This record gives sequence, C-alpha cells and structure tokens, in this order.
Amino acid sequence: MPSSIVFDDELVALLPRLRRFAYALSRTPADADDLTQATVERALRSRGQWQPGTRLDSWLYRIMRNLWIDTVRARGRKDKVEAPAAEADRLGEDPREAMDASVDLARMMAAMQRLPDEQREVVALILVEGFGYRETAEMLGVPIGTVSSRLVRGRTALLDLVGV
Amino acid sequence: MVSDETFFAWLDGELGPGEAARVAAEVEADPELAAKAERHRALRARLTQGFGTIVDAPVPEQILTAAARPAGAEVVDFAAARGSRETRWRSVPQWAAIAATLAIGIFVGTMVPRHDSAPVALEDGKVYAAAALSDALDTELASDPSSGGVRINLTFRDQSGAICRSFTQAAASGLACRDKERWQLRGLFAAPEGQGGAYRMAAGMDPNLAALVTSTMAGEPFDGAREKAARDTGWR
Repeated sequence: MPSSIVFDDELVALLPRLRRFAYALSRTPADADDLTQATVERALRSRGQWQPGTRLDSWLYRIMRNLWIDTVRARGRKDKVEAPAAEADRLGEDPREAMDASVDLARMMAAMQRLPDEQREVVALILVEGFGYRETAEMLGVPIGTVSSRLVRGRTALLDLVGV
Repeated sequence: MVSDETFFAWLDGELGPGEAARVAAEVEADPELAAKAERHRALRARLTQGFGTIVDAPVPEQILTAAARPAGAEVVDFAAARGSRETRWRSVPQWAAIAATLAIGIFVGTMVPRHDSAPVALEDGKVYAAAALSDALDTELASDPSSGGVRINLTFRDQSGAICRSFTQAAASGLACRDKERWQLRGLFAAPEGQGGAYRMAAGMDPNLAALVTSTMAGEPFDGAREKAARDTGWR
C-alpha cells in the first residue's frame, strides 16, 4: 500500500488522540482545537519528512508539542496570570455526554494550566496519553531521568490542585 | 526507603519484574506509601476519564476537513493512484472523515475533500460519486458480494424516471441517482458513533437514508432481473 495512503488514513484515525493531547496542553477548548488544526496542517505540509515505517503518532505529537511551545513563547508571560476562561459549555459536543465528565474535563484542564509547561507536557504524554518514559524522552529530546523527575513534580502538584 | 522517582516508575509499570516486586513489597508494608499509591491511581483515573471525553467526542468538522484535504498540491503517479483506489476505498477513516463532515439529514455538500481518489467529487454545486464508489454503482448488483467495501442495496426509479441506487459502506451509507452519465449523490449519512465496521454492514438501513429512499422512490424497487437489465443498458 502506498505510504501516502497509510499516512492519510492514520492521520484521520489519530485525530481524537491528538485532540486529547491538545486539550491537556491548552488553556481553553478553542485553543486546543486551533492547535489540533494547526498540527494537522503542518503535518500535511511536512508529510515528506515522515519516515514510513516509523511511528506516525510520535511524529504528530512532536509536531503538536513544538507548535504549542511556539504559541506559549509567542504569548509570553504577560497573560500567563490570566485565569483560563471557563468554556465548559463549548465542551458539550454531544449533549448526551455525562455532565460530570465535562465538568471534570474543565477542572482537569484548569489544573493542568497551573503546572509549569515542561511538567505539563510530561504529565500529558505519560498520564493522559499513556506513552512510556522512554518514548516520552525521545519525543521531547531529553534524558529519561529528566522526564522522570518532571513527572514526579508535575503529578505531585496536580494532586494538590485537584485534591483527589 | 523508595525514592519518588522509583515509586512512580513502579506505579506506572516502568520497572523490571525484580525491582517492581521489591517496591511492591515495600509499598504493601507501608500504609503511608500505600495510601499515596491509591491517591495517584485515582488522579490518573480522573485524568483518563476527564480527557477521555475528548477521545469519545466527535472531531470538529473543521479539523476533519483540514485532515482530509492535503495542504500542498501533490504530484500523483497515475499508476499508483489507480492501484490504490480499492485500498483507499476500503479504509474506514477517510469515509468517516467525509461522512462526519455532513450534517445529519440530506447532504448539501460544501465540504467535499478534493482528494484524487475521494469517493465523492464536487462539480457545479453537485456532488457526484467518484473512484471506487462510482465503479460500484456502475457495475455491482445487490446480489454481488461487496466489492471495494461498497454494498449496493436498492435500485429504483425516482419521480423523474432516473435510476437511483442506495449503498452501504462500513462508515457511511447513501443514495445516488443517475444524472446523465454519472451518479449524483442525493444523500450521505455517517454511521452512528460506535457502529462502524461489520456491525454497520450487517445492520438495517440508516433511518435517515430509509426516509430519503422512501421519498425519492416512484413505484417498486427493481428485482434482480430488472436491476441486471438496467445495468446492461447503461442505467437509462
């Protein structure tokens, strides 16, 4: 099967997961969907750089993470202090979804926003997306020990924030 | 005493069997550590559940459209494109992407991806069957096993006398009617969430499609002999 076909179909199949990662990184659902769309557009433009036979998901996550970092940097520190807007109503794509789950999503997004960026991405990749430490280290280009220590700090802070 | 790094690596299943057993024993013997493990398991469960709503929710139309339409112009090798038709057709995700961009109801097609081998093509504001869908509508009989992932259901004439055929695919079903030498799509409906694949193929007709068929059909659906005769005379 030609690799371009695999690419297109896998990309579409990976959209729900990519979108979840965007929600874990972003301040608002609108930002998350913009990030997902930007990632898709970038991935399609750069498709020639993907090596068939390697994992497409890791490649896409890396693109998303880099775009997110760019956004964070561009936004600068000035509006970092703003509380994330409550946009829980936008989450109800499906009105039949349990309300509890949507509320919890909004809460989790708000808590994730309180983490430093480098802890948030590690928590998102490992605890939300289910990647292993090694895969995460490779995606982020940092040593596995760094991943491990950021994860300890990130999840400890998160536990305090959401008070499980 | 277990370090935080080791404790969490154990919790995340990152340790080898020997070390994992050692940490597990230590956690079991220490109520404080055991409670910590429980709290962090609960945290992970909440993260999984909260963000899991995103995975279960439909992907917004804009994103699907972006994914279904390559940003750069592609140079397509015609031989490769021909060879890939069937494989592409069989793949559910692309169908899901197209069908999911459609509102529930009759398709007024403004969001058709411009893939070379997409199963639909937009021309002068009308949506036509293309590639493998067009082939299936042209040649396949309801009695045939599905080819290229498309199954033909009913064939009949509409009020204007044009021949129409309903079809089903793993992720979508629809109705197309003859317009000159082509098949114009009258409706395309996404399979309900969670009913893809074989279930979809085995299930009855989508209620929206059934309503469209009922309102379009004049007279009775063709039987096998009439269907075959219609095919052999070019669907006139």
